[in-house]
Amino acid sequence: MRALTFLLLESGAGMTGADSGKTRLVVGGATIAGLIAAWYIASTTGAIPKLDFPSPEQFVAAARQVVVEPGFADGLLFDHLLHSVKIILLGFFAATAIGVPLGLWMGWSRTAEALINPIFLLIRPIPALAWIPLAIVWLGLDDAAKVMVLWFAAFVPSVINSYTGVRSIDRPIIEASRMLGIGRMAVITDVIVPGALPSIFTGLRLSLQGCLTALVAAELLGAILGLGKVLYQAGLDIYPAMILVGMVAVALTGFVLTALLDVVESRSMPWRKR
Amino acid sequence: MGPALPTRQLVLLSAVGLAIFFGIWTGAAWLELAPRRFLPMPWDVIDRAFKLTETRFSGQTLQGHLVISVERYLRGFILAVLVGVPLGLLMGWYRWLDYIVTPVFDALRFVAPIAWVPFAALWFGTGIGGPTMIIFAGAFPPCLINAYRGARYVETRYIEAAQTLGASGLRVVREVLLPASLPSIIAGLRISAGAGWQSLIGAELIAANAGVGLMMVRGQAALDTSIVMVGMIAVGLIGLLIDVALRGAETWIKAKQGH
Amino acid sequence: MADIVLDGVSRVFGHGDKRFVALDKVSYTVADNEFVAVVGPSGCGKTTCMRMAAGLEFPTSGTCKVGGKIVDRPGPDRAVVFQQFALFPWKTVQQNIDFGLRSLNVPRSEAGDRIAASIKLMGLEGYEAAYPHQLSGGMQQRVAIARAYVLNPQVLLMDEPFGALDAQTRTVMQEELLRVGRINPRTVMFITHAVEEAVYLADRVIVMTRRPGRIKETIDVKPVRLAEKWDNYERIEDVMDLESFVHLRTRIWRLLREQHDPADH
Ligand SMILES: Nc1ncnc2c1ncn2[C@@H]1O[C@H](COP(=O)(O)OP(=O)(O)O)[C@@H](O)[C@H]1O
Ligand SMILES: [Mg+2]
Repeated sequence: MRALTFLLLESGAGMTGADSGKTRLVVGGATIAGLIAAWYIASTTGAIPKLDFPSPEQFVAAARQVVVEPGFADGLLFDHLLHSVKIILLGFFAATAIGVPLGLWMGWSRTAEALINPIFLLIRPIPALAWIPLAIVWLGLDDAAKVMVLWFAAFVPSVINSYTGVRSIDRPIIEASRMLGIGRMAVITDVIVPGALPSIFTGLRLSLQGCLTALVAAELLGAILGLGKVLYQAGLDIYPAMILVGMVAVALTGFVLTALLDVVESRSMPWRKR
Repeated sequence: MGPALPTRQLVLLSAVGLAIFFGIWTGAAWLELAPRRFLPMPWDVIDRAFKLTETRFSGQTLQGHLVISVERYLRGFILAVLVGVPLGLLMGWYRWLDYIVTPVFDALRFVAPIAWVPFAALWFGTGIGGPTMIIFAGAFPPCLINAYRGARYVETRYIEAAQTLGASGLRVVREVLLPASLPSIIAGLRISAGAGWQSLIGAELIAANAGVGLMMVRGQAALDTSIVMVGMIAVGLIGLLIDVALRGAETWIKAKQGH
Repeated sequence: MADIVLDGVSRVFGHGDKRFVALDKVSYTVADNEFVAVVGPSGCGKTTCMRMAAGLEFPTSGTCKVGGKIVDRPGPDRAVVFQQFALFPWKTVQQNIDFGLRSLNVPRSEAGDRIAASIKLMGLEGYEAAYPHQLSGGMQQRVAIARAYVLNPQVLLMDEPFGALDAQTRTVMQEELLRVGRINPRTVMFITHAVEEAVYLADRVIVMTRRPGRIKETIDVKPVRLAEKWDNYERIEDVMDLESFVHLRTRIWRLLREQHDPADH
């Protein structure tokens, strides 16, 4: 009862007190459950037209179909998923393997910054998705075209944040480590990289998000396999249940990949409190 | 990291950087590493841009496509701001709203905005409604998140002062949380503007009856790289313009509040 | 009737091994239209008591009543002057002072008059359109006081309001506060570090101890002030030279010194 009054009161109290995690969990769970119930009722009573949005049963049936029966959009859900993840990882690693060192270098060396920044400034404002038509003209509907688009999606944030990461390291720390006579290489591996790491991971997170969005867009424009292909086919067939299945698959992929990155992040910075 | 470079050296190095970029481009085109329609010279692109402003391509001139895109964009973006910012602020104040909206928002957050395209086309068509919805899907989350965070991190003393002065909840939201979190909100708008603009291009590439995205796809279908590149440059410039405008607003507000 | 009654108030902060008792069964009363000053070493719970009267903090046990009613929320009937001003940086002086009047739904024409009067009272003429960050600390504090006074509240809660002022301004503000209080008496809870200030302004001074916060002693100033006719002196310096004043000040000082704590100040 107390929790209820506490919730319903205009709760400026919410600003000062610590969050009550249990109430949050209960209310959150109830909301989701309520929404699912509302969805069920609205679709069985016809409040939502089945042509616009599937009923829960249709959704489950569509999910079953694409998971176990081969054939929808030329593959099982697992094949589509595997294909998409493969391309995401390819694009992500190809871009960040270049972007992060480049950003670090630009942060470290004024000369490198002056030389590269103008080129980077030309590329930076172009949204990743705007590379898709060019990629298709140059590389067709192949995986290579998608990797190219994802490369740009992941490249820009990884450069920017690695650069900012180096620039945000306290100068005295760098100067002190130089004075201690540590070698140039050691300054980079022991001072620059760890100092920039939080910012680098911010960049990697954005890169990953960018890859996911770019991949879905690129696959919607044309693909042999992939989650975007599922969405595309479902859209063409006007098959709302399958559209929803595709969206859920995209969201789960994003969720799992982000969670993996989180794990890597906390493992690589054990000195940081979470 | 050394000291800042002298201006002359900076300009020189920047010029060298640009020269390398355009040198490689022109050189590759000159050597005909790819047919010229796949890899045009830089001046071919400029030439094409001028031609596109005079003759129609896919139903519109370049500026015609741009006007359509910007109009759609403004619709979706403004809608996202008008819904996202107030909702975020209210969630920062009313706990029950926070508890109800956050799980739903978290569940939807991982759906890439572009993945809404099939539903958007199904529900709202490919004219104005569908693309607007995609822009909304891209621009909404940063608006909400930054308004919410801004509201949660407002210094307690301002809220307490307002409460002891008898302000109602809605008044606290309007007159304390909103102005106090403006810097955070504007930062959110900058992210949101970029995300919305990118989503618009995506939507227009995939399903739209006009707009600069459509122009690019048609250029791609015609295997005419210079049209695609004109589109990329136009899209980049407008995105830049939007960001510069919002950055100006940010500076102005910070100056006004005496930060 | 607007008295403040703290009855057996305790407040515990923190959990587990960080748990500590900030206030331990504190009871005191600020009678209707009485001016009570609270002094005590830093961290003894003065602010916490005041926040309870304001409705910003609640006792772990015991009760805090204002005007006979248990305090359950903040409101404009109890105006607060915060230690760090808490002026809204995004509002002008005029808008800051107006904020509470709008909660009270005071008619606009009357509000204008009241704002003008309090701006005049605090010597803020000409600064109506200024933003807080354009003002000095002293001027900001005047705005904070004007913002409280303009509500014409029965209860005034002031947390070291002159703490951030230079000595000159401080003296002026003290004389001003006394003058205004004579014209228009209020129930005032006034927290301060400065013993002179407490003796000069208050009818009664409450001395608190630290860890746990308790009341050490209550000193009646009013009978002495009336008997020795302090009010006949214009300037604060003249009062401070009186033997009766020095005597009271020294007594309170001793009480504070007895709980010497090198960690303070
Ligand atoms: N919200 C809080 N959480 C934890 N400790 C607090 C809180 N508010 C006050 N305290 C502690 O309670 C004690 C009394 O604080 P306060 O009332 O501010 O003292 P004073 O105003 O007399 O200096 C201090 O030790 C302070 O650190
Ligand atoms: Mg205090």
